[in-house]
Amino acid sequence: MSNITEIVKDSNIVKFAEHKIPGGIHPAEFKSLSNQQPIKTLPLAQELIIPLTNSDHISGELQVNIGDQVSNGQLILASATETMASNIHSPCDGTVLEIDKKNTGHPSSLPLAAILIKQDSKTPQSTGIKKATRLQTNKTNRNWISATPQEIIERIHQAGIVGLGGAAFPTHTKFQTSLGKVNTLIVNAMECEPYITCDDRLLQENSSDILLGALITAKAVGASKILFGIEDNKPEAIANLKNEITSLIKSNYNYDKKNYQLPNIEIVIAKAKYPSGGEKQLIQLLTGREVPQGKYPAELGILVQNVATLYAVNNAVVHDINLTQRLVTITGDCVPQPGNYWIQFGTPISHIIDSLQIDSGDIPHVIFGGPLMGVAISDFNVPTQKSTNCIIFDSNEKLLNNNQEDSHSACIRCGECESVCPVSLLPQQLFWFSQSEQWEQLENQDLFDCIECGACTYVCPSIIPLVGYYRYAKSEIKYLDAKNKKSELAKKRFENRENRLAKIKAEREEKRRKTAEARKLAALNKEQDPDGKKSAIQAALDRVKNKKEQQS
Amino acid sequence: MNLSSPFIHNDKTTSRIMLLVCSALIPGILVSFYFFGWGTLINLVVCSVYAVSAEALIMWLRKKSIAKALSDNSALLTGLLIGLSFPPMLPWWMSFIGVWFAIIIAKQLYGGLGFNPFNPAMVGYVLLLISFPVEMTSWLPSHEIAQQHPSFLETLQITFVGTTSDGNKLIDYRMLADGFTMATPLDESKTAFSLGLMTSEIIETSHFITNTNSWFWLNISFLVGGLLLLANRVIHWHIPTSMLLGMTITASVLYLYDNQLFLSPWLHLTMGATMLGAFFIATDPVTASTTPKGRLIYGAIIGFFIVIIRSFGGYPDAVAFAVLLLNIAVPTIDHYTKPSVYGSQTRENINA
Repeated sequence: MSNITEIVKDSNIVKFAEHKIPGGIHPAEFKSLSNQQPIKTLPLAQELIIPLTNSDHISGELQVNIGDQVSNGQLILASATETMASNIHSPCDGTVLEIDKKNTGHPSSLPLAAILIKQDSKTPQSTGIKKATRLQTNKTNRNWISATPQEIIERIHQAGIVGLGGAAFPTHTKFQTSLGKVNTLIVNAMECEPYITCDDRLLQENSSDILLGALITAKAVGASKILFGIEDNKPEAIANLKNEITSLIKSNYNYDKKNYQLPNIEIVIAKAKYPSGGEKQLIQLLTGREVPQGKYPAELGILVQNVATLYAVNNAVVHDINLTQRLVTITGDCVPQPGNYWIQFGTPISHIIDSLQIDSGDIPHVIFGGPLMGVAISDFNVPTQKSTNCIIFDSNEKLLNNNQEDSHSACIRCGECESVCPVSLLPQQLFWFSQSEQWEQLENQDLFDCIECGACTYVCPSIIPLVGYYRYAKSEIKYLDAKNKKSELAKKRFENRENRLAKIKAEREEKRRKTAEARKLAALNKEQDPDGKKSAIQAALDRVKNKKEQQS
Repeated sequence: MNLSSPFIHNDKTTSRIMLLVCSALIPGILVSFYFFGWGTLINLVVCSVYAVSAEALIMWLRKKSIAKALSDNSALLTGLLIGLSFPPMLPWWMSFIGVWFAIIIAKQLYGGLGFNPFNPAMVGYVLLLISFPVEMTSWLPSHEIAQQHPSFLETLQITFVGTTSDGNKLIDYRMLADGFTMATPLDESKTAFSLGLMTSEIIETSHFITNTNSWFWLNISFLVGGLLLLANRVIHWHIPTSMLLGMTITASVLYLYDNQLFLSPWLHLTMGATMLGAFFIATDPVTASTTPKGRLIYGAIIGFFIVIIRSFGGYPDAVAFAVLLLNIAVPTIDHYTKPSVYGSQTRENINA
C-alpha cells in the first residue's frame, strides 16, 4: 500500500487509526470484482414493488389508493413522527396497481404489506440524480447554512432518509436524539464486508457531495469535528476525499465566516479487518472509547453516519430530492458486468437479472448484503429496499450451501470463536447455553451485546452455525419476555378487576347496611312512638328552648 | 432450507486441524526413530490402530456415523500422542489397555470429542504408568551408547512375544556398552539424587551426557513441530509460552536455592516430555482453558507443577500429572478469566 503511505505522508488531514479493536477476521475480499467500473444507472423496471413495512403493521398513513397516478418522488406513506419509521416515496411515475401483502425479502419469508406500481415514465432511463457538484462553485444552494437544526432534520424526515449502511434506522430520529449531545460526527466509510463496494465507489466519484452531506449533518446536530473512518483497501477513495477536503479548506473564505464555522475534518485510515465497520467497533477504532452497554454513541458525544446516508442528506437538503434510489453493488461470478448501479427502490431481482444479463440459471438464491451478515433470497420477485447495499449472484458452492449440514460436528472448545469476537464475548459458552436453552445464563453472558457479525461462525472448525443459535436464543428470549409482560399485564388487569369488583361489592354492602340500619332505627322509633306525637312534642320543646337561648 | 448468514468459512475444519497437528509430529517421530529405532514406529502404528478401532467400536455401539467420527482425525491424534509417550518395545497388550482406556473411558464415556474433561492420551499414559511403573520407565538408551540395537524383526518380536528368536529380552537391549542399564536422563537423575549424589556428579557421567544429547534433540524436534503449528495458527502462543516460562521460573528458583540438589532449568526444558507437552499435550483444545488470560494461567501452573513433581514426586516425569491436574481446574479458570465485554467497563465507570 505504498499509495496509502504516499497519501498520509506530510498530511494533516489524513492519519492512521491509533486504536485497535479486539478479534476480527480477514476473509477474501472479492471487492475488485466491482470497484473498478464507473457507476452506472439501471434501467427502470416495468413494475416496482415498494415495501411499506418491515413488520406486521404499517406505522404511518397511506397517501395513495389503488388506481392513483403517482410521480417520481411523490409521498406514498407518511410516517407518524413519533414512531421509528420513515416516509416512503414513489420511485417512478406510474399507476398504483395493488396494495397487498408480498414477499419483500423479510428473513422469515412472510409476506408483508407493499405497493405495486406500474411505471409509465416517458424516459425510463431518467432517475433524477444530478452529477456531482463541486463545493466551491455551489454558491446557490447554501441555504442550509442559515437553516436551523430543526429545519434540516425536518427536511431529512420528509425525504424519507434512513441509515443506508444496512440497518435502515430512520436518520431524523437518530439526529433528533443526538441533538445537543454530539460534538463529533464519525463518517462510516469502512465498508469492511467482502464483495460490497458501493460506498467505496461513491467516494471515488462523488466525495464532494458526501462531504457536503457531512457538513450539513454536523451543522444539524452541532458537531464541531468530522472524522472519516475508512479502511486502507480504498486508496482511490481516500485520495479523492482528501483532495475534496483540501480544496474545501482552501475555499473556506467562500463561506460566510460570521455565520459558519467549518468543522475540523480528518480522514482516519484503519487496517482492513472485518468487522471494523460496525458502529461501535468504528468508534473504538477512531477514539479508543467504548459505547457503554445499553447506551447509544450519543452518550460519548458521537454520531455515526454512513457515507451513502450523507449523500442522501445532501440530495435532500441541497437538491430537494427525496430518497427513492440508492447505489447497489451487483456482483458475483454470475454477473457479466459486475459493478455499482443506481437502482430505484422496489426494483425486483428478476429485472436486475434481465437488464444485466445475469446468468442466474443455476443459482438457487442470491445474497442481499454481504456474505457475512446478508440474507439469502430465493424468490427473485423480491424487490430492492433502502437497506439493500449489495446483491451477490454467485455460483460458489460455499455461498450457496452455507454449510448447513444436518448436524454440525461437536464443539472442540478450541476458542477460535473467542479470539475473533470483536465484542469479547465467549461465543462457545453462548453456544452451550443456547443449545440447552438456558435463557438466564445467556443474558448473564451478555448475549444481547452480540452484533451478529458472523466472525465466530466463519472460523468455527466444527462448522457450527453459531450466529444461527444466537439469533434463535435472542428471539426466544424476546418472545418469552413479551409473553411474560403480557401475562403480567393480564394478571394485573385481573387483579384490578378483582379489586374493583370487591370495592363495588363492599360499597354496595355498606349502602345496604346503612339503609338497613336506618330502617331498623325507624322501626324502633315507630315502636316507641307509634303515631309520632312524642317526637312532635320533643321538636316543639327544642324550638322553644332554642328561642329562649337566643333571647337571653 | 433455511439459510442464514454467514455464508463463508475459512476452511479450517476440525479434521484439518487434527491432521495438521498429526503432521507437526513428524520431526519428533523421525528423531525418535533415529535414536530409539523401530520401537517408536511400531508403537505409533499399534497405538493408532487401537485408538481408531476403539473409536469405531464405540460409534457403532452408539449407533452413530463411524465414518464421520473417524474423519475428524481426533482418535488418530490421540493414538499418535500415546504412541510417542510409551517407551519403545512396550508389550502390545499394555499399549492396548492404555489406548482403549484413553479412548473409551476418558473420551467416549464422557460423550466423545469435545466433552471429555481430561486429556485422553494423558489418562491412558498415567493409567499405565501407575499400573506398570517398571515397564513404563524402561526406556531404551540412545543407539549410540547401546550395547546392541534391535532390528525391525527383533523389535516386533519383543513387542508381541517378549523374546526374540535369539532369546534376547528387552533388558538385553537396554544394556549399555559398559554393561549398565539406563533409563531416561530424568529417571537416571531421580535415582541418583535418591542415592545422595549431587547434580554436578550426575551430569558429568559420560553416558548421562550422551543420553541427554538424544533427549535434547527429541525436544528440539517437537519444538520445531510446535513452531510450525504456531506459524500455521493451529495453536495459540499462550499455553506453550506460559508453560515453558512457568517451568523456567520454578526451576530457576529451585536451582538458585541449591544447585546441587536440583536440575538446572535448561535440563528441565530439554529433557523428558517438555516440548511434546508444551506444544501438543497442554494445547489440546478440548481440555485446556479457552480464554486468553485463562490459557496463560493454565500453562504457567502446568509448568510450575511439572518442575515440582519432577523434583519432589515419585515419578521421573510429570507432564501427564500436571496436565491432568490442571484439566480439572479449567472450569474455574475460565470462570474467573472471562474477558470484559465491549462497553461493560464504561458502563461501570458511568455507574460508579
